[in-house]
Amino acid sequence: MIEMLQYDFMRIALVMAVLIGLTAPAVGTFIVQRRLSLLGDGIGHIALTGIGLGLLTSTSPVLAALLVSVLGAVAIEVLRARSRSGADVVLALLFYGGLAGGVLLTNGQGGGTSLQSYLFGSISSVSTGDLYVVAGLAAAVLAIVVLFGREMFLLCQDEEVARASGLPVRFLGVLIAATAAVTVVIAMRAIGLLLVSALMIVPVAAAQQVTRGFRGTMLLAMGVGVLSAVSGLAGSFQYDLPPGPSIVLLALALFVVAVAGGSVVRRRRARAGASGEAVPTTVRPAVDAEAEVLGG
Amino acid sequence: MNDEAPPFAMTGGLVRRDGREVLAGVDLRVAAGDVLAVLGPNGAGKSTLVKALLGLIPLAAGRTEIYGVPPAAFRDWKRLGYVPQRLPMGGGVPATVREVVASGRVARQSRWRPSSAADRAAVDRALAAVGLTDLAGESAHLLSGGQQQRVLIARALAGEPDTFVMDEPTAGVDAGSQAALAATLRDLAGAGRTVVLVAHELGPLEPLITRTVELEHGRVVRETALREVTGTTT
Repeated sequence: MIEMLQYDFMRIALVMAVLIGLTAPAVGTFIVQRRLSLLGDGIGHIALTGIGLGLLTSTSPVLAALLVSVLGAVAIEVLRARSRSGADVVLALLFYGGLAGGVLLTNGQGGGTSLQSYLFGSISSVSTGDLYVVAGLAAAVLAIVVLFGREMFLLCQDEEVARASGLPVRFLGVLIAATAAVTVVIAMRAIGLLLVSALMIVPVAAAQQVTRGFRGTMLLAMGVGVLSAVSGLAGSFQYDLPPGPSIVLLALALFVVAVAGGSVVRRRRARAGASGEAVPTTVRPAVDAEAEVLGG
Repeated sequence: MNDEAPPFAMTGGLVRRDGREVLAGVDLRVAAGDVLAVLGPNGAGKSTLVKALLGLIPLAAGRTEIYGVPPAAFRDWKRLGYVPQRLPMGGGVPATVREVVASGRVARQSRWRPSSAADRAAVDRALAAVGLTDLAGESAHLLSGGQQQRVLIARALAGEPDTFVMDEPTAGVDAGSQAALAATLRDLAGAGRTVVLVAHELGPLEPLITRTVELEHGRVVRETALREVTGTTT
C-alpha cells in the first residue's frame, strides 16, 4: 500500500478512484430509482463515438467524449419522454449506433490499442492534466446532486406528483441524463466504457439491501463505491491485474455480502415487528437480473 | 393571481385515449371550501378527471383553469396538494416515511437553501396528523397499503396547500387508516380547505362531503349537494 504511493501515476490514480467512487453511485441512486439502470451503458457506447471523433480529428478524445455523450444522453431522455414504445428500444438503438460509430471512426488510424484502453480502462496512463479535468467534472456532478437532489428525488419517486408540485420535470430528466453522461466520462479512463456503468449501479444495489432511506442508500453506496474503487486499484497494482475489472468485481462481491447481510437484517426486523407493527418480509424487487437471482 | 377565481373550473373537458373519449365534455366547478367526491364505476374516468383538472393529462377540447389560470401557465403550485393512488415502487431504492413526506415541501423550498426549521415543523405536523410519527424512520415501501396511503396524504399535508386532490385515498385501506383519513379530512374541511377526492364509496367519509359528482362513461350523470360548506373559506 505504501509502496504504490511512491509512484506518481498511482497517486493520481488513487485520487481519481476516490472521485469516481463518490460520483458514480451518487448519480446512480437516481438512475436506479428511475429504472434506467442501463442508461450508463448506453451512454458509454455513445461516448465511444466521441472518442473516435477525438482521435480522428486529433483533438482531445475526453472532451469529444464529453460532448458526444452529453448530447447522446439528452437525446435518450427526449426520445424516452416522447416515445410510447418505451426506453429500452431507444437505448438499444443508441447502444449499437454509438459502438459501431466508435469502432468505425477509430478503424482508419490504427486506433485499435487506444480504443482498447478506453473500452477497458488504463488508469496508469492518466496524467495530472486529466486529473484536473476529472476533479472539476466530479465537483460539478456533486454540486448538481446537492442543489437539485430534492427535486430529483421527487421526480424519481413519482413524475406526476413532481409535475403537480410545479417542478420542471423535463429539465430535471435531462439534467439527470446529462449528469450521468458526465459521470461516464469521469470514470472511463479508470474503469473503461464497457464497465463504467457497473460503478453507478452495483454500489446502489448493494446499499439498498440494508438501508431504509434514500439518503442513507446514496451515502452508503458512495462508501461502497470508494471502497471498491480504491481497494480494486490497490489490488490491481499489487497483483498486476487490470484495474477496471478488479474494481467492478470487488463491488459485486460487496453486493453479495450486502444481500446476505440484508436478509439477516430483514429477518430480525420481521421477528421484532411480529408482535407489533406488521412489516412484510418480502425482498425488494432487485435492480437487474443478476440481483434477482442472488436476492430472490 | 386572481384570488376570486375558484380552485378548479372545467368547461367541456374532453380527453381522448387511443381514439376513445375517456372524458366526454365535463363541466365542473369546484368552489373554495368544497369537499367534493367524484364517484363512479371503474373506468368511468374519475382519475382522468382529477388528473386533467391538475393539467397532468392534456385536454383534447374544452378548457380548464386552476385558480383562474390554465394549467400550462399556472405557477402557484404550492396552493395544490396532489395525493396519487399509490406510492410507486420505482427501481426499489428505499425511502423513509419522513423523506417521502418531506418531499411535499418542494414547491415551497428554494433549491439554494437547505430545509428550514419551518419545513421540519410542517413535516412533523403532517406525520402527526396521519398518526405516522412513530414510523417516520421506516422504509415507506415496507408499510401496509393503508399506511402507505397515509404517507402520501402526509406528503400533501406537509406542503400546506389550500386545495387537495386525492385519487382514491380509501381504496384498499384498513379500518384504522380509514379512520385516520376521515379525521384528517374533518380537520381540513373545518379549516376551510378545498378537497376533491375520487372514491368508489364514501363509507366513513360521507358526513364530511359537501358535494358529489357521479361519472359514467366519461360524463357527469349526477351532481348532488349534500350539505352547506361549513368551514371558513380561504
